[in-house]
Amino acid sequence: MQHSTIKRWSMLLIALAIVAVFAAACAQQPAAPAPAPQAQAPAATQAPAAAAPTQAPAAAPKATEAPKAAPTSAPAAQPTAAAKAAPAGTGNQLVVGIAHDLTTLDPGRGYEIAGGLAHKAIYDTLVTTAPDDITKIVPSLAEKWDISSDGKTYTFNLKKGVKFSSGNEMTANDVKWSYDRVKGLQGNPSFLFSTIKSVDAKDPNTVVITLDSPDPALLAKMTFMAFAVLDSKTVQAQGGVTGADAKANDKAQQWLDQHSAGTGPFVLKSWTKDNEITVEKNPNYWGTPSKLDRVIYKNLPQSASQKLALEGGDIDIALELNADQTKALASNPNVKIVQGPTTDIFFLLANKDKSMSPKGVMSDPKVVQAVELALDRDAFKDLSGTKSGVPPTIVGLGFLGSWDESKTPKRDVAKAKQLLADAGYPNGFEVDMEYPTKFNRDGLDWDTMAQKVQSDLAEAGIKVNLKPGDLQTVLANYRAGKEGFSLWQWGADFPDTNDRLAFLPEGIVGKRAGWTNATSDPNIQKLRDQAAVETDPQKRVQVWNDIQQYLMDNSPFIPLIQPNRAVAVSNKVSGYTFNNQFLVQPLLLSKQQ
Amino acid sequence: MSVTDYVIRRVLIVIPLIIGLTLVVFLVSHMLPGDPVAAHLGQRSMEDPAIVAAFRQEWGLDQPLYVQYLTFLKNLSQGNLGVSIHTKQPVMDDLGRYFPASIELAVTAVFFAILIGIPLGIISAVKRNHPVDHGARVVSLLGVSAPVFWLALVGLYVFYLRLGWLPGPGRLDTGMTEPTHITGMFTVDSLITGNMTAFASAVRHLFLPALVLGMATAGLVTRMTRSSMLEVLSSDYIRTARAKGASEGRVIIQHALRNSMIPTVTVIGLALADIMSGAVLTETIFAWPGIGRYAFQSTVSLDFPSIIGVTLLIAVVFALANLVVDITYVFLDPRLRTA
Repeated sequence: MQHSTIKRWSMLLIALAIVAVFAAACAQQPAAPAPAPQAQAPAATQAPAAAAPTQAPAAAPKATEAPKAAPTSAPAAQPTAAAKAAPAGTGNQLVVGIAHDLTTLDPGRGYEIAGGLAHKAIYDTLVTTAPDDITKIVPSLAEKWDISSDGKTYTFNLKKGVKFSSGNEMTANDVKWSYDRVKGLQGNPSFLFSTIKSVDAKDPNTVVITLDSPDPALLAKMTFMAFAVLDSKTVQAQGGVTGADAKANDKAQQWLDQHSAGTGPFVLKSWTKDNEITVEKNPNYWGTPSKLDRVIYKNLPQSASQKLALEGGDIDIALELNADQTKALASNPNVKIVQGPTTDIFFLLANKDKSMSPKGVMSDPKVVQAVELALDRDAFKDLSGTKSGVPPTIVGLGFLGSWDESKTPKRDVAKAKQLLADAGYPNGFEVDMEYPTKFNRDGLDWDTMAQKVQSDLAEAGIKVNLKPGDLQTVLANYRAGKEGFSLWQWGADFPDTNDRLAFLPEGIVGKRAGWTNATSDPNIQKLRDQAAVETDPQKRVQVWNDIQQYLMDNSPFIPLIQPNRAVAVSNKVSGYTFNNQFLVQPLLLSKQQ
Repeated sequence: MSVTDYVIRRVLIVIPLIIGLTLVVFLVSHMLPGDPVAAHLGQRSMEDPAIVAAFRQEWGLDQPLYVQYLTFLKNLSQGNLGVSIHTKQPVMDDLGRYFPASIELAVTAVFFAILIGIPLGIISAVKRNHPVDHGARVVSLLGVSAPVFWLALVGLYVFYLRLGWLPGPGRLDTGMTEPTHITGMFTVDSLITGNMTAFASAVRHLFLPALVLGMATAGLVTRMTRSSMLEVLSSDYIRTARAKGASEGRVIIQHALRNSMIPTVTVIGLALADIMSGAVLTETIFAWPGIGRYAFQSTVSLDFPSIIGVTLLIAVVFALANLVVDITYVFLDPRLRTA
């Protein structure tokens, strides 16, 4: 009895102690907006000593490479450089909220949004996009470039005196080595290099790229961070290799996940998976230094949490808000909403393959036109909560030679019914429409969009049965070309009109709609082949004009909207400029503390 | 049969169960419609048959299903769960990174559930049909029926944004260095290494997600405790105890509570296993990298090795939780020791 009483009391005491610990910890820092600067101080003071040792054990599961990483990281001297750049606790720090989708920070292997943002801070490419216009190519590490008259040879003159964060000089050899490595790795971004035959360092300041065939989109592709120039000496020392078997032999990923070897305005300080990517000012940066000392890309997978964290002052920029959250924040005086056009396009696919829809109904161009006229596309704009565009064709808006919204046909249900009658469906028809769900893109809800298509088409007598599915399930049908009628989305792989060759006969998406050389008109095939190699801007505009003219009557794709993207930025941050490719450009930003 | 024999027998039963489970999970996950190649290669890479073939070969997807399963069993017998297609890390390492975060969350949540649920259940049984009882029932109903993501968002809104008492999403304050990895539980690791700044931050960040998850469990615990207490309180030996002049507090705590704990312990054990094996909504809202998020990511990307790894882990967690619950019964009710 005595014994059990003691036991009971001790249990109670333990419970009280735990509660007390919580209470004490919570009482310690009472105000929420305060933690940011407060937390910064201990982190920074511990940085030189603690950062390296804590990172190593954290990464210890990958035991095989740990011993290699430890000794070599010392000569690279990254941690000390980083510590110098940010004197303890006084740093001007920017925090970006984004869902971490990345699996690596190796620019040769990664091809994800969050990774790309960090790469923009720590690496440079030869050319890049203008801060406010992704269709305009501007110099970065290259001072200027020439394109040969046959469009197959690009000669780049590099800026002189550019140093990597390690202090090594950046030369043409580094460019060649970096490009050869990505080509050899055969990772997700390697397709961007597919037209490149060879890269040569003519002299330390001249790089010559030779192509198999002319590629009008080459410069646009070269703005991607897969074309980042890496410090070849440093990365080779960490196991980086080039060549055909780089996929098997390159061992630099482990190191590149925690360190950087670039010329960018920042250096990578740390990446804690599913938590934060931290970059700090590069003391060896060649351009005008950043006004920020540190940028943290904080993982917030839920858009509602991003909104709360922005309002609470934990983050300065929220990148993934949905339409309702954007609207709710519009009235918040501490936040500004910046909008800009994306290169994404939501569209309907109507398969040209007769066996894919009942009686081949969707393969009839008249039916496709009827569907197009039955849709109230202006109303689709409202679904996104942002200013979106309705492009006249799948080519989209804002590219070189692409048409503007004035050519988009207006809704005309009577004419749609007439076209259906002409096609032999005076009483309309019934069709299934497949689409992906639980897959967030541009803050739009797929179900709502699909229901809107359903109700619009019902007015013209077309009964649409909605067939939502999990992304991976419906994606398999889509990619196999087995959908008769479906709702999908496409994001440009590079900001150039030629990205949309994918939608022409034999293109990736074209084939999914049963549009092949066998089922298409020789005229569109000829235009497609011209567009693929034409490098003269004037002639490109002409060719793409003809293509769009053709698509107006014969395309198996109906564009719904090209949404704008909304980014919520704290009023403390100035200089934010929208660029759909690089949603955060830290060099332009400053923050009032 | 001694308690030790009982435990050994229970553990041995778990082994064939888990092997059977691997077979079912393996078959089901491979029969799902959808292609892991499409989930991992970009649209343009998919166009290159050489890249697709290399991918299938790299991940053994070109082998017949039974060969893939036998390879998996062989690796498993060596304690190797394979490499995740998505993260490109050994699944064992991935689980080692995500699981401690879930344990930390689950243990704290269940602690809150006990702290709230049991006293509330006792009070509401003793004061049956009293306003206190009605109040307790409303609280437990709210805990059981309010969607957890709603509780999480409301919790963040009130305690983080409006009152500023608690921090926002994440496991630590922004920019804070993670404590040295020992157990993977930040509160424990920071205590071991004496990093009190990180400890305070970790505890503050743990409080709200644990409370939100604990509320749901607390609702169940309250109801269970109340109903079994009511049953026990109306039994003969309680009347006898009272007749012998035992004080009311002693009757309730010493005689009634212990005997009414069995259903409550079951609920608590299962809730613990449930939260440990992933609370995906709470984890997502609080940016808490637990096993639920990992399981979700594995499923959407058809990452077979991780799906199987997570399933096995969850099976082991549930088997262990049941075992612990059963052993607890033995301590609560001596009659079971000989059964």
